[in-house]
Amino acid sequence: MRTSGVLHATRGLGLHDHICWPYDDPAEFRRRAVEFLADGLALGQRCWYVSEGPTEELLSHVAELGAALDSGALRVVSIDDTYGDGGAVTPAEQVATYAAATRAALADGFSGLRVAAEATPMVRGDEALDAFCRYEHLVDRYMAGEPFAAMCAYDRTELPASAIGQLACLHPASGTGGSPFRLYAVPHARVALDGELDLESRDDFTRALDRADLRAGGGPVVVDGSSLEFIDHHALFALSRAADGDVVLRTRRSAPARLAALVGVPGLRVEAE
Amino acid sequence: MRTGAARGHEGYFHETAFYGSDADFQALVVPFLDEGVSAGEPVLVACGAANERLLRDRVADPSALRFLPGSDQYSRPTDTILEYRKVFAEYAGVAQIRVVGDVPHTGTGASWDWWSRYEAAVNDIFAEVPLWGLCPYDLRTTPADVLADVLRAHPRVAGAGGRHLANPDYLGSWTWPEPDRDPLEVEHPLVDLLDPSPAEARRAVSAACVATRLTRDELDDVVYAASEAVTNALTHGKPPARLRVWADDAHVVVAVADRGEGPASPTAGLVPTERTTTAGLGLWLTHRTCRDVSLSRDADGFTIRMVVGGST
Repeated sequence: MRTSGVLHATRGLGLHDHICWPYDDPAEFRRRAVEFLADGLALGQRCWYVSEGPTEELLSHVAELGAALDSGALRVVSIDDTYGDGGAVTPAEQVATYAAATRAALADGFSGLRVAAEATPMVRGDEALDAFCRYEHLVDRYMAGEPFAAMCAYDRTELPASAIGQLACLHPASGTGGSPFRLYAVPHARVALDGELDLESRDDFTRALDRADLRAGGGPVVVDGSSLEFIDHHALFALSRAADGDVVLRTRRSAPARLAALVGVPGLRVEAE
Repeated sequence: MRTGAARGHEGYFHETAFYGSDADFQALVVPFLDEGVSAGEPVLVACGAANERLLRDRVADPSALRFLPGSDQYSRPTDTILEYRKVFAEYAGVAQIRVVGDVPHTGTGASWDWWSRYEAAVNDIFAEVPLWGLCPYDLRTTPADVLADVLRAHPRVAGAGGRHLANPDYLGSWTWPEPDRDPLEVEHPLVDLLDPSPAEARRAVSAACVATRLTRDELDDVVYAASEAVTNALTHGKPPARLRVWADDAHVVVAVADRGEGPASPTAGLVPTERTTTAGLGLWLTHRTCRDVSLSRDADGFTIRMVVGGST
């Protein structure tokens, strides 16, 4: 079971978890990254700390995990070496890179790979942001099935709130002030939804659905809505459109089924869990 | 070829009539029904139980009429419109359909606001249907303000002695009814928020309903209705939006106001709008789920009031 929802800490996350961490204070981000990586080391994952800047500076950020640096379980990686030259990523290639690194970690006897990344440089500009959002969902799919965990930190003092929202909603877990909803990968359904889908999330939800490309794969699109607190009819229609009118929403609440029956959303079935 | 007073008329022939006794009612309606039956037209009766009995007793052939139980047919305007659309579709291609219906109002224990909008809106909604609709009102029970609205909403009026006239009081345009205030509104509201987000509105309404005996569905409905009303105020109205909530143990009243004009047409909320996939559906859903919805406008702007739950 992946951890989902709005979290106030980066502690206690498992082998498949994926958290977005918007921050205002770089020192606070580093403290959270160290906590996240320390848990990974305890779980036997190979850990990477990825950020901009010279290697010596990055080493100083994770100095308190020195023993792991010495043993090779923890590495620091300057961002240019991980994601290329700072232009828009190619989502599939980027996922392939992390998949290879995860396999290498497993081959070397680790339980998987864990990365804490300061990814702000990857989303400067609309095109880069869009490509990286697509990557965030694609890599999330990989993480749901393989022992790769990540913390993606974004600098709120540099990025507009709208960019933070678009990124945060594509992670199963997020720090506070990210997004009112989350769309993420789970092993038992095409995607899972968490949080509240209403006016505030309308544009981001449509974008997230597009970036997650629900149409890929055959048969009805199964959506796990067991953690949804609220969904309005606009979001039900958006879901139906994104799934080409063949979608099953599984939820614990009775309201979405009642709503869908009253309004008549084409090709949407709501199943109570 | 249409028969009777609607001969030569195209589309909806929307007529009202007023009666002061059972005999008057029969004298107005029975010839309307019998003529339709003789002409081979579909003839529908959607009246309350007492009026239905009066008609069954007097018409030439009750078995030639289609009776729609009035209490079901007029439970709420959205459902009435959906049901009539279905029924009229069955008669596609006929020259004329005749319907007599008892529209509810305050005198019969219903809320008038949404039925007054219904009476004005059906002129547009059924404009294309070759329909002769007769809406008789009982002068013994109908209050004066309802009668005034009825006269403004019907282009035709039937009189005693089989007269069918153009109604000189018909406005052809909609005027806002007086607001239907719930008695609870004299109390201090449990919630009074300016410019809440839809999520804040949902939480506030949920919290205000904690001490009520609403069912799960009623709770979902009132929370959804408040969320949609605030969404509409934020997207179509003028700021600030104000949310107020009153509740006793059996029912909840939610009022959402903004400084804008509100909807321009009486059809708003009564039909699922077809112009776009979803615009207007929220208000329509609210009309389908709440016990009562009233829309009003005053010097300060537009207010929607929604009531969910029992009346005591």
